[in-house]
Amino acid sequence: MFQITDIPRLLPEILLLVLALLVLGSDIFEKWGRTQEAQLERVRSSASLTAIGLGLIFFIALVQSGYIPFTVVPETAAPNFFINIVRNLQAGGPVGEPITGAFATDHLTMISRLTLIGAALLTSLLCLDYRPTAHPAEFYALILFATLGMCLMAGATELIIAYLAIELTSIPLYILAGYFRNDMRSSEAGMKYFLFGALSSGILLYGMSLTYGFTASALAGNSLGNNLTEFAQIASLARIADNQGILTLGMIFMIAGLGYKLAVVPFHGWSPDVYQGAPTPITAFVSTASKMAGFILLLRLLTTAFPGLTGTAVWGELSGWTSALALLAVLTLIVGNLAALPQTNAKRLLAWSSVAQAGFVLLAFVAWAAPQTFDRDQGTVALLYYLIVYTLTNLGAFGALAAVSMAVGGDEIADLNGLARRNLGLAVLMAICVLSLAGIPPLAGFFAKFYVFMVSWQSGAEWLVVIAVLTTVISLYYYLRLLKAMFMEPPAAETPVTAPPGITAAVVIAAAGLIILGLFPNLILGILSQVQTVAGF
Amino acid sequence: MGLFTLATDIPWLSLIWLSMAVPAVIIALIPHQHKEAMRWVGAVFAFASLVLSLLVFLAYEPGRAGFQFVERLNWMPQLGISYQLGVDGISLPMILLNGIVISTGALMSWNIDTRVKEYWVLLLLLTTGVYGVFVSLDLFLFFVFYELAVLPMYLLIGIWGSTRKEYGAMKLTLFLMAGSALVIIGMLALYFGSGLRTFDMIVLAQNVTLAGNVQRIFFPMLFLGFAVLAGMFPFHTWSPTGHVAAPTAVSMLHAGVLMKLGSYGCLRAAMWLMPAGANTWLPVVAGLALLNVVYGATIAMAQRDAKYIIGYSSVSHMGLVMLALAAGTQLALMGAVLQMFAHGVMTALFFSVVGRMIYERAHTRQLPELGGLYKVMPFATIMFIIAGLSSMGMPGLAGFWSEFIIFLGVWERYPLVAVIAVLSIPITGAYILRAVWAVFFDEVKNPELLKLPKLTWQEYTGATILVLILIGVGLYPAILTELIDVGVRPIVAQLEGITLAGR
Repeated sequence: MFQITDIPRLLPEILLLVLALLVLGSDIFEKWGRTQEAQLERVRSSASLTAIGLGLIFFIALVQSGYIPFTVVPETAAPNFFINIVRNLQAGGPVGEPITGAFATDHLTMISRLTLIGAALLTSLLCLDYRPTAHPAEFYALILFATLGMCLMAGATELIIAYLAIELTSIPLYILAGYFRNDMRSSEAGMKYFLFGALSSGILLYGMSLTYGFTASALAGNSLGNNLTEFAQIASLARIADNQGILTLGMIFMIAGLGYKLAVVPFHGWSPDVYQGAPTPITAFVSTASKMAGFILLLRLLTTAFPGLTGTAVWGELSGWTSALALLAVLTLIVGNLAALPQTNAKRLLAWSSVAQAGFVLLAFVAWAAPQTFDRDQGTVALLYYLIVYTLTNLGAFGALAAVSMAVGGDEIADLNGLARRNLGLAVLMAICVLSLAGIPPLAGFFAKFYVFMVSWQSGAEWLVVIAVLTTVISLYYYLRLLKAMFMEPPAAETPVTAPPGITAAVVIAAAGLIILGLFPNLILGILSQVQTVAGF
Repeated sequence: MGLFTLATDIPWLSLIWLSMAVPAVIIALIPHQHKEAMRWVGAVFAFASLVLSLLVFLAYEPGRAGFQFVERLNWMPQLGISYQLGVDGISLPMILLNGIVISTGALMSWNIDTRVKEYWVLLLLLTTGVYGVFVSLDLFLFFVFYELAVLPMYLLIGIWGSTRKEYGAMKLTLFLMAGSALVIIGMLALYFGSGLRTFDMIVLAQNVTLAGNVQRIFFPMLFLGFAVLAGMFPFHTWSPTGHVAAPTAVSMLHAGVLMKLGSYGCLRAAMWLMPAGANTWLPVVAGLALLNVVYGATIAMAQRDAKYIIGYSSVSHMGLVMLALAAGTQLALMGAVLQMFAHGVMTALFFSVVGRMIYERAHTRQLPELGGLYKVMPFATIMFIIAGLSSMGMPGLAGFWSEFIIFLGVWERYPLVAVIAVLSIPITGAYILRAVWAVFFDEVKNPELLKLPKLTWQEYTGATILVLILIGVGLYPAILTELIDVGVRPIVAQLEGITLAGR
């Protein structure tokens, strides 16, 4: 049953919706002119409204989560206005059963929300000085709608909500990818993204319908509940009913469908073209936030709906979804890294690198095959840490690239030539992000990779870790090529490259985050490890 | 030496690596036109780190064996990762060596005039990593510092290097990173295989619970991962290319200290923590190292580029270190550590003469194009000859003791190998004398060379420091051997399957 007291638990989602509508509505009151300045002003006002709004929502969600120690009000504190607000907010914090069995507001959702909203915030900073578009408000509102969909994806515990959330995420992203209608590549990106997305939705739905068929027939005769699509219900019916084959088939289709959204090899065909063609801030957003949401949904789906099919990824006894994901991981790592080697376009190179990074994320799923709960929980923590770090890193890298291509007019690797002499600060920031992607300590990307290797090894998939470690060496070659272009090649022109303040701010936040999280992973590991109290099965 | 005691409430070892990390930040903040200020900040802090290392070196009490100046902070306790530092008789000479090389290297970097800020920041970051490796006692921390020491090399060579610098830089980085990938695998095997769930090296070494056959699978990975950096055959090819391409101070650090990180890792991580694996595999290592020694020296004979000669001589000399590690006896390991020190100082001297004094002036290092430089730079000639004599193992210089002890130690275990390895000494003599003749004494082929500018005070100071150390250790090796003797004992005990009581 949905109750009024559940409303605060949905506060971040509600606020995102309100903000999106506000951004759309406020544009009407702007001065609509045809001149460049007037357009820029409209872009600015929509963008700043989005950025400020997202900042506020992020802050509110942070207070609500109670993860920051000083925002937790002691029981004994005398009530006053602020303390009452904080207490009311935190009453809707990460606790309780899923709302109507469909949407969980546990720690996993809360952490994902914070990351997703944070990613959207950085994206809106990246867009602050991006090319003025015809209807800026739509652009930002679509980002907000997509963010809303992602938050719902992260919390969905039921098939229908999951599907709706995926569509709510995807459709705005299709439009955003093709936003520059006059640009051939952008239109191509939008079209391709849409076609592949529609196909993958079909596959996903087919898997869901098979699963529904299983649960419905398992309860045949005494079908009372309307909860046949809830993840937990699927799991409990799977324990008593036979005819598991259909369930396995449904799961495989769902993994494939989500695999498309996550651009996991062999479902990755669309991603390099889309990433290259989309406006760079949107590429950053798609490659980070939408992947994060997809991975969280995949984790929740597989662990709560299909615990019986977990299997193991130990070499020689491969079975269950852990080994399916292990094989996908191997493919993704090898294909992603090898395909990135010959690229000459920096954006496309980063796109392939994002494909490869998804392979490392999949390694963390394999940890679920470990027999001890403790090790499985470590797997979840490693997954979240990796996703958070990866989000920061990729936003930073694409952000820095956006600044360069705005100033230089292209995003080939050659356009990065001599960046260190044209803008040393920007080159260093980008180098930090790139090195973190490559997994060089003491940046956070290193510990993220190392942690993922650890949990995967622990579950017995040593062979997988060995392959993954070796692919990091391949990946180093193309990351070093970016470094080489920025630091060693002579610049094409001596004129300094200036980065707009919005992008600079976003990239600085990302790079600082990478250094801080790399040196002190414990800052968030403690928070992330709270996930274990809920995510078990 | 235990000459005096240092206050125990000061984190001396942290100070040592911080004394390199802090100036990196300071230099990053200095406006780019103040080049001289950056150089002075870098050099002053480099000498400060040398002084700190000396203090710790002199205050270490060999009588009280084991790790001293231990610092420990929790880093990620739930994963068994801590910030743990400590030094023993093996790491102390290495720390001292790094202090010597970076402070003289800083003096030799005075002529770098393009992109000064980036150069110094990277150089100091690299040194931070090297110091960090030598002081860390936690495998994870060790690895973090290790990578920090490798990566700046890529940019340092690629930007300020010479001959085929981009190729050399990429090759070096990829080789070393492939090595560290193997190291990661070995680390994970230790962490999970031992069942201890900790990266604390002392704990891992005290209870070697890793099953023998697991050790035999993963020892080659861990050992090889580090041995790549030590230039072990057949993974040595990055090293001469890298040395030749690098700017002088980087060559000095690279051949002088960085390659020692490799052999130090082999000793400290692989052999100490996986003794059973070591016992199985060390004969193979001995074979490869023998190839290093003889093949490296022979190839050095055939080179025309003076830096290549030194590069291959490093391969040959590091081969001696690896050979001694493979023998694994008390004497051999003592010789290995002493050789790491002696070779570090000697090769730093070589590179400062060839790279800085000669190449920066004559703009060539080809033996046939040089000649008669004795007339213009007698000082450089003497320095080069002393370094060469040490490399040949002339008594009275540091190289003599280390090579002598190594041959004694190897003889105990593999007499035949020792006999073949000794062949390298006459070959070394031959290529060093050839180089000395061709560069300094042959007739003057290019009269332009007689007009080369004079040496600067930085070059005089740096080279003099290095030579004094070579002679000092040569005359009184006990200043190091006493320490090293104590330091390698636990590892020898580990290899012999005995755990010393109370360690």
